Amino acid sequence: MRTLAAPPAGGRAWADLDEFQSFIDAGGMVEPDDDMPDEYRQEVFRFIEFHANSELMGGLTERDWIPHAPGIRLKQVFLAKTQDEIGHAHLLYMVAADMGVKTRTEMLEDLFEGRSRFHNVFHYQAVTWADQVAIAFLVDAAAFASQRAVFADCTYGPYKRVLKRIVAEEGFHMRHGEEMLLRIATGTPTQHEMFQAALDRWWWPAVQLFGPDSPPGDADPLLRWKIKSERNEVLRHAYVQKYVPLLHGYGFEIPDDELRHETDEDGNGQWLTGEIDWEPLKATMRNGGPDSARRIRTAADNWTDTAWVREALA
Amino acid sequence: MTSTTTLNPERVRAAVRDAVATVPDPEYPDVSIVDLGLLESIDVDRERSRTTARIGLIPTFGGCPALSMIAADVQCAVEAVDGVDRVVVDWLAGPVWTTDRMTTTAERALSDDYTVVLRRKDGGLRCPVCGSDDVADQSMAGPTRCRSVAWCGACRNPVEVMRS
Repeated sequence: MRTLAAPPAGGRAWADLDEFQSFIDAGGMVEPDDDMPDEYRQEVFRFIEFHANSELMGGLTERDWIPHAPGIRLKQVFLAKTQDEIGHAHLLYMVAADMGVKTRTEMLEDLFEGRSRFHNVFHYQAVTWADQVAIAFLVDAAAFASQRAVFADCTYGPYKRVLKRIVAEEGFHMRHGEEMLLRIATGTPTQHEMFQAALDRWWWPAVQLFGPDSPPGDADPLLRWKIKSERNEVLRHAYVQKYVPLLHGYGFEIPDDELRHETDEDGNGQWLTGEIDWEPLKATMRNGGPDSARRIRTAADNWTDTAWVREALA
Repeated sequence: MTSTTTLNPERVRAAVRDAVATVPDPEYPDVSIVDLGLLESIDVDRERSRTTARIGLIPTFGGCPALSMIAADVQCAVEAVDGVDRVVVDWLAGPVWTTDRMTTTAERALSDDYTVVLRRKDGGLRCPVCGSDDVADQSMAGPTRCRSVAWCGACRNPVEVMRS
């Protein structure tokens, strides 16, 4: 695993992409002062910008549920989660802006004017409190698995250092998710029905969060330059193995008619989902998901409503 | 857990302390809450052949969402101590937590592993990544109530600062 050791003084340069690739393959970490290839800079930037946008949009959604959270303790949890997500976005925008591709304001304006992307799960509406439980239990876990895989071998130093804290905090959110699920799953029949309905809405978006299968070989620059350490389908498969039995254990049904358990000759079993329809994911990436327009408008309104604060502080 | 033999209260107390020290902070999975200065008191009382361990903890911030989780983890760890029949975990209203309560072990772990530092007595900040003093405050609010955000101009990394 790449370490979080201090960067060397002064920037480094590589003669060509092959030499840069050898540096990456040998476990090298890229630092801001390095003369990194432009392709790498663009890919890392786009990835961090997407992550930052997702934290911000996620935080704004969680904030909406603070008044609706049942009980003072869960309000406290949602308040803290909101601060966490917005704080993560803040740190990530700092790292992204420093890469010199777009300024922080440009990134925010692109997001609020619908020109940027953010995680598919934030393009859907949470209808009931049970949706928040499903998000905390299922979606946060999927995001955690995917972020942990980025952290594991990430080659961009400042991003990896921020991810260390983000992953630790998302792990903490997952415990809240488990606690919330336990409460609703062991509750009344009405609560059970509520959660089942939420699961029907959130299962596929959670499974799709990992993204479509990675291109074959080393065609994916994110894998080649070790921004991501694992292929999308590998992470998704591991996630399905963990969450299908957990949800079955609480008596819930996975909304997938083709879901099956297969055992090979050695007795090793695995859960296989039905074929994934990627159209909903693609729609969210065009900001054309069921709740995309409202979410982006709400975020944009926040930005314009708080302009006076930025002016006062300038 | 009921013990068949009566253990020396001092030894029970030491075992309770060791058990509390195994509990990590939920947001720093490898840093002990004892090193973070959350443990204030341990009282071991024996009454009518039942031993009660009462653990007094100090929150870094009131309203911290991790409190009930930490209390549950402490409860669980101390219940496993031989010679303890009953565990009571209290969050104390005082003394107020400050970064002075942290041990150097915690300070080093936060700095080396999490890029989180303490403010020096002179108000300055030292970058945990490159060691430069060229670290400027950015915003009072960070991802958690107990941290603010700064930026190292030398190595161009965000730095978080423990607040108290």
